[in-house]
Amino acid sequence: MAEVHIIGQIVGGSGFPQRRLFCKWGLHAGGAWKLLSGLGSGQTQVDDPQVDDVAYWCHPLDVHFATKGLQGWPKLHLQVWHQDGLGRSEVLGYGFCHIPATPGCHSLACVTWRPRGTLWERLSQSLVGGGPQLRAPETSTTGAADRFRLRTEAAGTVHLQLGVLLRHFGRYGIEC
Amino acid sequence: MDYSQVSATDQMNRSEESQMIIMEEFLDEDAAQVERLRRTLAARRHRRQTALPEAAGPPEPRTQERGRDKMAAPPPDAAPPAPRDLPPAPSTSRASFAECSVRERMREKLKAARSKAEINALQEDSSPHPRRSKSIRERKTEVKMDKTVQNDFPSAEEAYNFFTFSFDPEPESIKAGARKRNGLSEEEEAEEECVEANEDEEEEDKTDEDVRLVKDDDLFMIGQTAEDLVVMKPADYESYSEQLKKEKEFLFIPSKLTVSASEKMPGNMQPRYLEDEGIYTGERPSVSQSNQNILENRILRQEQGKKWFGDDGKILALPNPIKQSSTRPPIFSLEEAIAPELETVYAKAIKMTAANQYLVGPGDFQGPFQLDIDISGLIFTHHPCFSREHVLAAKLAQLYDQYLARKQKNLTELLTGKLDALRNAVQCSIDGGGAGVPVAQQRIPEYKLEIRQTRRLRDAEEEKDRMLLKTIIKVWKQIKSLRDFQKFTNTPMKLYLRKEETDQRLDEKRYEAEIQAEINELLEECTEEYEKKRAEYETELQKWKSWKKIQKSKKKKKKDINEEESVENYDLDEEPVKPIPPKKANILEIEQQVREKAASCRRKPGEPAVIPELVLSGSITPTELCPQAEVLRREDVKKRSAFIKVLFNSKEVSRTVTRPISSDFRVHFGQIFNLQIFNWPESLKLQIYDTVGKSSTTLLAEVFIPVPETTVLTGSAPMEEIEFSSNQRVMLDHEGVGSGVSFSFEADGSNKMTLMTSGKVSNSVSWAVGEKGIPLIPPVSQQNTGIPSSLKNIDAIASIGTSGLTDMKKLAKWAAEAKLDPNDPNNAALMKLIMVATSGEAQVPDYFRLEPLQQEFNFVSDEEFNRSKRFRLLQLRNGEVAEFRNYKQVPLHEREISEKIFQDYEKRLQERDVIDSKNVIDAHRAVVANYLQKVRESVINRFLIAKHHFILSDLVNEEEIPSLGILGLGLLKLTETKRPLKPKRKERKKVTAQNLSDGDIKLLVNIVRAYHIPVRKSVMSKLQQPSKSSRSFNEMFAAVPSAQSPADSPDWAFNQVLVRPFVEVSFQRTVCQTTTAEGPNPNWNEELELPFRAPNGDYSTHSLQSVKDEVFINVFDEVLHDAVEGDHERGSGIHAHVERHWLGCVKIPFTTIYFQGRIDGTFKMDIPPVLLGYSKEKNMGLERGYDSVRNLREGSYITLFITIEPQLIPGESVREKMNEMLKFDTQEDEKLLQAAEKYEAECTSKFPNRQCLTTVIDLSGKTVFITRYIKPLNPPQELLDATPNSSQTVAELVARYVALIPFLPDSVSFAGICDLWSTSDQFLYLLSGDEEEHAVLLCNYFLGMGKKAWLIIGSAIPEGPTAYVLTLEQGQYVVWNPSTGCFYGQYDTFCPLQNVYCLISCDNIWFNMQDYDSPVRINFDTSKPKLWKSFFSRSLPYPGLYSVQPEELVYQHSDKAAAVELQGRIEKLLKDKIMEWRPRHLTRWNRYCTSTLRNFLPLLEQNQGKDVEDDHEAELQKQLGDYRVSGFPIHRPFTEVRPLIEAVHSTGVHTIDISNVEFALAVYVHAYPQNVFSVWIYVASLVRNK
Repeated sequence: MAEVHIIGQIVGGSGFPQRRLFCKWGLHAGGAWKLLSGLGSGQTQVDDPQVDDVAYWCHPLDVHFATKGLQGWPKLHLQVWHQDGLGRSEVLGYGFCHIPATPGCHSLACVTWRPRGTLWERLSQSLVGGGPQLRAPETSTTGAADRFRLRTEAAGTVHLQLGVLLRHFGRYGIEC
Repeated sequence: MDYSQVSATDQMNRSEESQMIIMEEFLDEDAAQVERLRRTLAARRHRRQTALPEAAGPPEPRTQERGRDKMAAPPPDAAPPAPRDLPPAPSTSRASFAECSVRERMREKLKAARSKAEINALQEDSSPHPRRSKSIRERKTEVKMDKTVQNDFPSAEEAYNFFTFSFDPEPESIKAGARKRNGLSEEEEAEEECVEANEDEEEEDKTDEDVRLVKDDDLFMIGQTAEDLVVMKPADYESYSEQLKKEKEFLFIPSKLTVSASEKMPGNMQPRYLEDEGIYTGERPSVSQSNQNILENRILRQEQGKKWFGDDGKILALPNPIKQSSTRPPIFSLEEAIAPELETVYAKAIKMTAANQYLVGPGDFQGPFQLDIDISGLIFTHHPCFSREHVLAAKLAQLYDQYLARKQKNLTELLTGKLDALRNAVQCSIDGGGAGVPVAQQRIPEYKLEIRQTRRLRDAEEEKDRMLLKTIIKVWKQIKSLRDFQKFTNTPMKLYLRKEETDQRLDEKRYEAEIQAEINELLEECTEEYEKKRAEYETELQKWKSWKKIQKSKKKKKKDINEEESVENYDLDEEPVKPIPPKKANILEIEQQVREKAASCRRKPGEPAVIPELVLSGSITPTELCPQAEVLRREDVKKRSAFIKVLFNSKEVSRTVTRPISSDFRVHFGQIFNLQIFNWPESLKLQIYDTVGKSSTTLLAEVFIPVPETTVLTGSAPMEEIEFSSNQRVMLDHEGVGSGVSFSFEADGSNKMTLMTSGKVSNSVSWAVGEKGIPLIPPVSQQNTGIPSSLKNIDAIASIGTSGLTDMKKLAKWAAEAKLDPNDPNNAALMKLIMVATSGEAQVPDYFRLEPLQQEFNFVSDEEFNRSKRFRLLQLRNGEVAEFRNYKQVPLHEREISEKIFQDYEKRLQERDVIDSKNVIDAHRAVVANYLQKVRESVINRFLIAKHHFILSDLVNEEEIPSLGILGLGLLKLTETKRPLKPKRKERKKVTAQNLSDGDIKLLVNIVRAYHIPVRKSVMSKLQQPSKSSRSFNEMFAAVPSAQSPADSPDWAFNQVLVRPFVEVSFQRTVCQTTTAEGPNPNWNEELELPFRAPNGDYSTHSLQSVKDEVFINVFDEVLHDAVEGDHERGSGIHAHVERHWLGCVKIPFTTIYFQGRIDGTFKMDIPPVLLGYSKEKNMGLERGYDSVRNLREGSYITLFITIEPQLIPGESVREKMNEMLKFDTQEDEKLLQAAEKYEAECTSKFPNRQCLTTVIDLSGKTVFITRYIKPLNPPQELLDATPNSSQTVAELVARYVALIPFLPDSVSFAGICDLWSTSDQFLYLLSGDEEEHAVLLCNYFLGMGKKAWLIIGSAIPEGPTAYVLTLEQGQYVVWNPSTGCFYGQYDTFCPLQNVYCLISCDNIWFNMQDYDSPVRINFDTSKPKLWKSFFSRSLPYPGLYSVQPEELVYQHSDKAAAVELQGRIEKLLKDKIMEWRPRHLTRWNRYCTSTLRNFLPLLEQNQGKDVEDDHEAELQKQLGDYRVSGFPIHRPFTEVRPLIEAVHSTGVHTIDISNVEFALAVYVHAYPQNVFSVWIYVASLVRNK
């Protein structure tokens, strides 16, 4: 019966090799969690920064969860995409972070990675765009046993500002 | 000088000495240490005495001791003079040397100190110091204090003073303190002195010497120069060997030799090997043996070194910690066994579609799937170019194929074998079984039955075989004769008949045996049958006999009674036929039969078995040798070629190369087409084309190929032959027989046959296999056809559903059925689970949990979680459920939420399926209402998604940059002359609805004036005259008789009574009223302001669009009655009753105002046909022709101006957005849709504010071309029959019928979505719809009645955009309002239709291209292309679209009984309601009046509410002479009861509160076909005149 209310924003992304970025996001929580209101997933606009390499989205998040257990604390999945000059999109980074479990304002930096393709794929990526993508981006971040097989390279950082409100956790003996 | 020198050295020495003392003190601080020191010193001394040189032996671990030793010990050789030695000589030997020097220094200091002391003692014998020791002590303490207090040493003088001064008062205390503090050291000092005393014995002389030497040195030094002090020395060098030697002194190098076990083991223990004893010992880390030895050697030298060794004599060691395998194995190839969820795909950069813009849902990958279509070739079984021989050859080939197929099946043999077996079985059971085995006995008849059947089958097969053989031979013979006849051969076919010689005797024997067996069986059968029949015969006979007997007895009786009757009776009684005894079968006959049959269908004994064999080895006659006709044919064949097109979902995707047809009419393609597809194919088709020469290509045939099963994969798919045939008729002028042309083989032309082009395509279709062996098959979910797919077997959840997973039995069953491989590791978990479950060994939990242990850690139970009201409220609000959408704040605590909140919502949910027949009177309406609700919900759900999609223009508001032209115009405006008197129109600012709140929006209603309000009637009866007070002077002036009025009687003007009308506007339960004006043409010009409240405070466009409220504008007459009776009281005061009488009303829905922005115009008031006590001016002609120009007279009109302040921007309907986003489904031709789009674009570009409608959306959400809705339909026959003579009245009646169907605007039911068009039968079934449905139905009826009719798309007041119907009557255009049933001439000024945009007929659309669009100013002649732009024209002819309307409308007959029942119920309900509305008064019902009114109503219905007023009035007058009656009938189409109640309530009849008032209420329901009801309610109030 405890509640978690997340209010915040996806501020932007920095350190990506390209401009014109947008971000798809989704919140994932365990079975004990129930989305009371707000959107559980979404997508930002494309930002094409003119000055520096930080793309600002300032995409609002306002999600209200209710939970009957602690398991499966909500996680935020992020995918940073790049839209090229032809309007085509390609993925630049995957990342995920837990929603902070302490109440208050949090500034998070979620680092991202992306799969590194074979030589041929990298070559074609540089020439015609596109790139290796995860077949199942959801499951890869949850429980994959041999993740070491995935060859990745670092991508940029997504900056988040999240305000977390908790309610009634104390009633069930959880201090926060 | 000398002294000072001495003192300087003395001082130096002293300081040195003090240092030494500190040192000593520091060393001796610990008493125990001191003790030990002392002891060792003693011991050393002893030792030194014995072996002094040993002191420099091998280094001792305790260097301190040694240091002490050295210090204590006098240097063996003469030490160098102390001062000179002060800077320690640099030494190459490092540590030892440093150590030595320190020691040496110490030693020297000590020495110096001693000598000093002696000197002092010598010098200062006469000093006040009593004892030497004391002075030392003193000094020592002093130094010590000095040391502790200040770090720097005292200057020489100070020191001297210090020591030489006598501290008279203090010394004691200081001494005491010092003594106290240094108690220990004092004692020690004493002891040391004792020791030294011992030493002194041997050292004394030396010390003396030393002292002397020092002195000498001091003296010597004075004379020396700097050169004497510095000595040049070569660099010190120690040779390497020396170094080694020195190193050897203090370095220990353990040997590499193995240490013997005994050394490592304590005592005399034997090494013990745990491993040998069977105890597990881990593997030791590998260390090289030499290293181990070194370590052992080194450890052993240590104290307790043996404890490092285990029982086995080896160094103790933990097992090897290094793991065998590396934790991160190297990846050799990425392909190998990567987890599926981690697989990466190289995705091309793609443009995003709107559909998958969210992250949710499994991976977006829907790779292209591949279908391989292999077309290998084509064989014609008939072709127009076939020669006769070819025809025969083809036939032969076909027959031969058949023969081969039969032979392969070999049914005859099979059946013969079966027959033999059965016979044997029967024989066995008869012979061996005997009577003992009942089962065998039982089986015999079964066997026999089977034998019979099998024999029959075999005979049939044999006959077929034989026939086939015969035909083959016959055809072959025909070919041969044909070849002979035409003297050339065209086909390489040759038939060999191979004869297989058989053994005649054996054959004959078998043949005979067979026949015999058959005969026997038949005989048996026959006897059996005979027995049966015989038994039957016996019973029949018995019956017949008994019957006969009865008859006879009857006859006897009846003869006595009546002969005639009996005869008749006898005739009537049926006489059973006398049964005929069955015949016994004849053996000979049977044999005859059997033999005949055998002869016909079986090979005769001895006749050789013939086996045909078809070969293609024959030679074809070369062309040169052929006759002309044949040569021509062959050339024609050479010209011909064929190709095949592959059509996927009826779109051509590829085609084969064009290949010539070979002379044997085979075409080889051998091409494989790979189709990359995304969706499950709907259809696969091959089109076979035939080309002649280079010109004409004809489509021969279309062949549908079945979509392969998902198991059919490339590589394993077999070739299939699909037959096709064409109905083409081809006549050729050469030897070719043609197609579809009859020809004959006979010379005389008899026995004609006609053959069609036909053939076989051999092809194979299969699913391609991807790189990893994954078949590229679209997901089965896309497969909407119900093919039971084999894929289903593979996925357990798909085949038994998720619930099955908890049911172990089901799961096990499924596993058994699907034949899961138990050894497949993929299935291991499942198999284990099933095994455990079925064996019953382990307890299987009776629940299934996705997240184990979740339940155990939950705070609360699920029920409690779901019970939370707050959460529910939040969720419902988030889900935009209508009731909760606008909850601004949700309470924080559970207790603050009342239970009631959900009651309405839950009730609504429950009611969704339950038809509440109590509220809705008519059952059919209930069903319809329910259906409508469901349609509404489904549509809303469908559009809800679309509503939440936003396109760029929704989010980004980009203002257009003003172009140069606009700027120029702006500049020009500055130069315009100023005209201050001409007011300029200012555009009101539009407000978007998002940030409004209650009270921000107001509805402004400006009531301007009204025309021709009904006036009070002067009453004949004196008693009924209105009281004087209600009269005014104005009546004389106001009642100017109009010239056209027929009731132009002289006294009319004078008798006319005025009205005092006022207007009451009510909206959302707010009521405003104007002042009272006077006269029938009042002029108010008042502005009323009504607040607007959006439902639930939601001011979004979506919500505003669905506001259902209407603005009621009611016109009342204010009547004053004198409350005072008698003239005598009149003088003192005025007492009057104010009564209001309802005269009429206008209703305007809010949505209209919202969409239109403002409403400005003159509206016809809805006035009841009869207003008791009031009279309307008559219209002129009773014969109301279409040509009569209507005028004002016909009704009352009111001029209004309504708007919303501030102006709201009406939201665009979803349709535009939807069109951009997901496009509606459609079944229309793509070309047509494109044309429609183009047409619309063209039209709207010219006239942007004229709506052009080409496609509409039907109830199922599909786009339909609009003309499909227009189709002549039959109106109900009853209406046609009503007045057969006048077509006009029929038309009016039909219009009235259509208008009676309840009106329900789409924008309300499908809020903010779009117009949905239902077809006429849907409309009639649902019995509700908006303008379009009414208009379409009316138009269809008019067309059905043979009129020329069109649908007008235009806009009207007050509806806004709407649909009307236009008809052409006697050269005049008439506009019909379908929702009221009224009609207007084209030039009628009061026609509500304001603009005409489009005309639509059943086969075309015309767009209005004229400058004006008002119906008065336009020409309706659609034949003029300049005025009307047509959709279908010469360039795009009408393709003949089928209509969506039904062929014919079927009507239910009007149900009179239901109408009567409904009538009773409504009446009762209304009476109850009126009584309910008057809670404080007694409501009396005047029965007499009621019954009178009830009689009027059918009359009203009959006349459609016209022209009845007068009789009416008179009738009432006659009957209720002494009552003042006011009342009126209300007419409504019937939908529900609630609107009727509202209507009655709004008239305010019940508001009269005169004490003696009585009421009358009558209801009449007239039933029209298809349950259309017209409801009349007559309400009246009566006041008895005194």
